Amino acid sequence: MLRKTREQEQTISILVNNQPGVLSRVGGVFGRHGYNIKSLCVAETTNPEVSRITLTSESDPDFTDKIKKQLEKLVDVLDVSYLSGQSYVQRELMLIGVTVKEGAYSDVLRVIERFGCRIVTMTPDYLVLEVTGQQDETAAVLKIFQSFGVEEINRTGSIAVERVKPQRKI
Amino acid sequence: METIGADIVIQILKEEGVNAIFGYPGANTLPVHDRLVGSDIRHYLMRHEQAAAHASDGYARATGKVGVCIATSGPGATNLVTGIATAFMDSTPMVALTAQVSTGLLGQDAFQETDIIGITLPITKHSYQVHDVNNLAATLRQAFELATTGRPGPVLVDLPRDILSAKCRPAEKKSAPALKTNYKTEEDRDQLEKIAKTLNQSERPILIIGGGVKLCNAFQLVRELIEKAKIPFVTTMMGIGSVDSVNGYNLGLIGTHGNELANRMVHQCDFILAVGTRFSDRSTALIEEFAPLAKIAQIDIDPTSIGKSVKINLPYVGDIRDALAALLPLIDAKEKSEWLQRIQSERDAINGKVADTGCGPAGDFIHMLQEAMPRETTVTADVGLNQIWTVRTWQARSPRSLITSGGMGTMGFSLPAAIGAKVGTPERAVIAITGDGGFYMNIQELATISYYNLPIKIVVINNGHLGMIRQLQDLFYGARFNTIALGDKVDFVAVAKGFGIPGGTVVVDKDPGTGIAAMVKADGPYLLEAIVDPENYVYPIIPPGCSNAEMMYDRLD
Repeated sequence: MLRKTREQEQTISILVNNQPGVLSRVGGVFGRHGYNIKSLCVAETTNPEVSRITLTSESDPDFTDKIKKQLEKLVDVLDVSYLSGQSYVQRELMLIGVTVKEGAYSDVLRVIERFGCRIVTMTPDYLVLEVTGQQDETAAVLKIFQSFGVEEINRTGSIAVERVKPQRKI
Repeated sequence: METIGADIVIQILKEEGVNAIFGYPGANTLPVHDRLVGSDIRHYLMRHEQAAAHASDGYARATGKVGVCIATSGPGATNLVTGIATAFMDSTPMVALTAQVSTGLLGQDAFQETDIIGITLPITKHSYQVHDVNNLAATLRQAFELATTGRPGPVLVDLPRDILSAKCRPAEKKSAPALKTNYKTEEDRDQLEKIAKTLNQSERPILIIGGGVKLCNAFQLVRELIEKAKIPFVTTMMGIGSVDSVNGYNLGLIGTHGNELANRMVHQCDFILAVGTRFSDRSTALIEEFAPLAKIAQIDIDPTSIGKSVKINLPYVGDIRDALAALLPLIDAKEKSEWLQRIQSERDAINGKVADTGCGPAGDFIHMLQEAMPRETTVTADVGLNQIWTVRTWQARSPRSLITSGGMGTMGFSLPAAIGAKVGTPERAVIAITGDGGFYMNIQELATISYYNLPIKIVVINNGHLGMIRQLQDLFYGARFNTIALGDKVDFVAVAKGFGIPGGTVVVDKDPGTGIAAMVKADGPYLLEAIVDPENYVYPIIPPGCSNAEMMYDRLD
């Protein structure tokens, strides 16, 4: 069967045992079912035995049910939650390297000020900027800087925590 | 002797009630093989690691206990892979032990090092590599726990050599396992009531029995359900034998190589209660047209098996035994219905249409085999035409009496699986049925059978071809036969004799009775070669991409 196009995206938070090889088990679930992972972030939680994987994946109407069940079957997976709506605070960190042509500095600085970006380092013709925000905000900032000339970009992908004190003890 | 990691392995195997394992030693397994000396665990030395995995699989399927196989690192471990995948697809409880290079050498491409955890990720229920001898006992216990709970499956434990040789204290007594159970156990009463109500109100119900019924020993409950609700049943290939095949409510095997009656009635029914089946494509054929008139209720312990392919109206996640026990009192006792009368007239019509079982002289031959063998016989079937002939003809009278590779379709399975079945249930007669193609794939196991003098009857149905592929080329590729001829130059009886096993040859449609009798009479192992016409196909067959209602009885032309 031909691979279906999956235009939707879904961000998931997965709590896992903090052990070698767990990421490949989790990643394998997405790969085997043909969903491409768009971004991925892994970090220890307040409990050093537990890590949180936050990832954004391609999605389609089958995705929610199928992938959740498959993930929950993995022995090292402790919890799977789909991040949607207002119950989570989501942020992304992006680093972008921007070329600044002669005479464009004042325009670039205006944009930096307008969007609250931070200059990490700079040379006369090149800036490295730090941008944080929700994914749609970082995407918008990126688009604007692309008109100046973006040489390099790296982004963490979405990370998230619950807006209120979590019920669940990790 | 000081206690080392290998002693822990033996200790836990004994604790788990393992009395036979199937394996092949290598440099890195040496600590374990050394400490097997003097233990009461029998180690069967197979002639190939793939066969060790299949034998432990056959052992598990025949006994309902966990099958254990062991192989060394590198090629030993990779040779297990097909056997592990076979067990995974059919949900066999298995623990595969692989030796590994010492932890200090990991990642250095050391001699006979391979990342067996990585290789087996998608074909194991879970896997462990042990890095600390103090975790060894807990890890092995978890492996056994995981292999058997929920939906069973193979668990691999990779054992670096330095861990196996490391000095340690004997394992503490087993405490309650700290393992999470990743399936729901609480009863969903409302859903069971809905299922019962829909079944009670249905006019044309059918029960589909899958392999899960065997895996959780729910035979008695299923039988009670059938008799109380007077509900006719079909089985998937893995479900065969869960209820005595000669039970009057049995409509046969569903799916692409199934019985016409089973497929027709599933197509006409208005309610399906599916128990322990994942609705594989082999069972459903074209999904879109599967049981078009039916509401479907599905009971399975694995949430991912529910609604994987077919849309389910009434899903129920839970242990089949618990669910059926709770469901039974809610089911109305029924009298014989119009539906059963309709089934009977369909049955008569089909029986009038095809003179034989659709398996030709090969089917008649298998029928003769069963008549000649003791009633308490376990049959293992390989893959290909011989499998379909066997599962369609052999009347499995008890739940674990018919063993075959259903999901994976692994050629070469039946001979080593028969070894496991014989070791696990020595009181039963065991007969391995295979085609010539599958026989070649694990032919070396004749040496194991002969060495241990296991009284296994081996029937090689020889048509000189890869018969099922030949049928497909014949029917759907314009009879352009290619790469399927195996020839007639090999003298199987002489081969068997070379391995120390007596044998004989029969032609299936030329009075094979005498040859069969000689095989049955033989005390030890015996090989019977049965010559069959390469055009002895299996009918009806469902063409690729068609629904269960579109069965073919002959060539398209």
